[in-house]
Amino acid sequence: MKPVSPGTLRNAVVVFIVVGILFLAVSGFLRPILGVVMDPFVAAQRWLSERFMAVYDFFTLPRDVTALIQRNNELEDEVANLQSQIIQLQQQLREADILYSLLDYARSRPADQYIAAAVIGRDPSPFLQYIIIDHGSDDGVRYGMPVVTQQGLVGRIEAVTASASRVQLISDSGSTVNVTLQNQNADALVQGSITGDITLEMLNQNVNLNVGDILLTSGLGGNYPSDILVGQVVDIKKTENELFQSAYVQPMVDFKTLRAVLVIKNFQTTNISPLTSGTTMQ
Amino acid sequence: MIANYICIPVMFVLSVLQSTVISRITLINGSADVVMLAVAAWGVKEKGFNTFMWALAGGLFISIITAMPFYIPVGTYLFVAFLAKILFGRIWQSPIFMLIIVVFAGTIFGHFFSLFYLQINGAAAGLMAGLQNFTLPSLLLNFFFLFPMYVMISDLRKWVLPGDDYE
Repeated sequence: MKPVSPGTLRNAVVVFIVVGILFLAVSGFLRPILGVVMDPFVAAQRWLSERFMAVYDFFTLPRDVTALIQRNNELEDEVANLQSQIIQLQQQLREADILYSLLDYARSRPADQYIAAAVIGRDPSPFLQYIIIDHGSDDGVRYGMPVVTQQGLVGRIEAVTASASRVQLISDSGSTVNVTLQNQNADALVQGSITGDITLEMLNQNVNLNVGDILLTSGLGGNYPSDILVGQVVDIKKTENELFQSAYVQPMVDFKTLRAVLVIKNFQTTNISPLTSGTTMQ
Repeated sequence: MIANYICIPVMFVLSVLQSTVISRITLINGSADVVMLAVAAWGVKEKGFNTFMWALAGGLFISIITAMPFYIPVGTYLFVAFLAKILFGRIWQSPIFMLIIVVFAGTIFGHFFSLFYLQINGAAAGLMAGLQNFTLPSLLLNFFFLFPMYVMISDLRKWVLPGDDYE
């Protein structure tokens, strides 16, 4: 038998020790020893890493904040732009709604021809109920043309320039509209006032007037076409010893929020003043 | 030179503002009159007669827009300019107090002038109803806009007439 050389024996002992250590490590018997060795190392690593990251942040974070501030400003600008676009779109939507309503109204009365106009101002005097619209004689607007919305009667053209017109509302103190009750054959007048309230006047005492009755233009007098909604009776003033009864009227149109109107283009107003002045003279 | 004609663009802008924005801001039936406020604010600091030009320019621009006859706004603003001219330097040397008096008197004068015209033309315009529904709310709104207008006109004066300020 060949004797074992000392070198081979030494190598076998080393392999045995290494395998033994590996076996002990895998089995968990070396954990306390490894903990004692590794803990200081990990603590040192953590301490150094924290310091390094602090220094790193000190030099790099301001640049990031600046970039973030810039990005934030860009995003804020974008939000502002988008909000502005939303407001513009909402505005356009409202205008489109108004125009669609006016278009529906125009389609419901195909015999009339209309000019759509935007309201661009009001009379500076608080005593007068006038509006300014953005269409004038260049667009075919003429003195006396009736002005309506999809809700009802607005007034009539009182003054015209090339590019704008002034409309006298039916709530003006100088406005008088001949009306008829929707459900009864009775004529009366709707009169404006300086406060903008409108009243029903000159209605025969025999007419049975009720709250809620609808008033339409009668077409008498030749200033307005017939059958346009004017308003609704809200309060009746009836005194036995007066010739006529009167009533407060709620106009169909909200004049304070008026934004767009239709001018009836093909209605010819009739000037009956020579007839009435002749009657007066007799 | 520029001080003599600055009233024209300013009054143009204020007339448009009055028609489009201010006349929609109402209290009961009253509304502020920024053109009159501008005339008054310029008048309380003006030693010469330039305020009358402001009144004329404002009156003419407003008369283009309003359905009132031209002599109502022109007359009202000339009255305000005249009152400012009379009172200049007489009330405790204080333009602010003088401005309040001028605007107060100008508003009442303008409203009575308008009511008088409407009554002559057959409108049912009662004096008490006019006072309650129009004049008092308008006075309140005029006082609300008075100080911003005074500050703006004062700055404008400093710009067009440097060194000619009366405090």
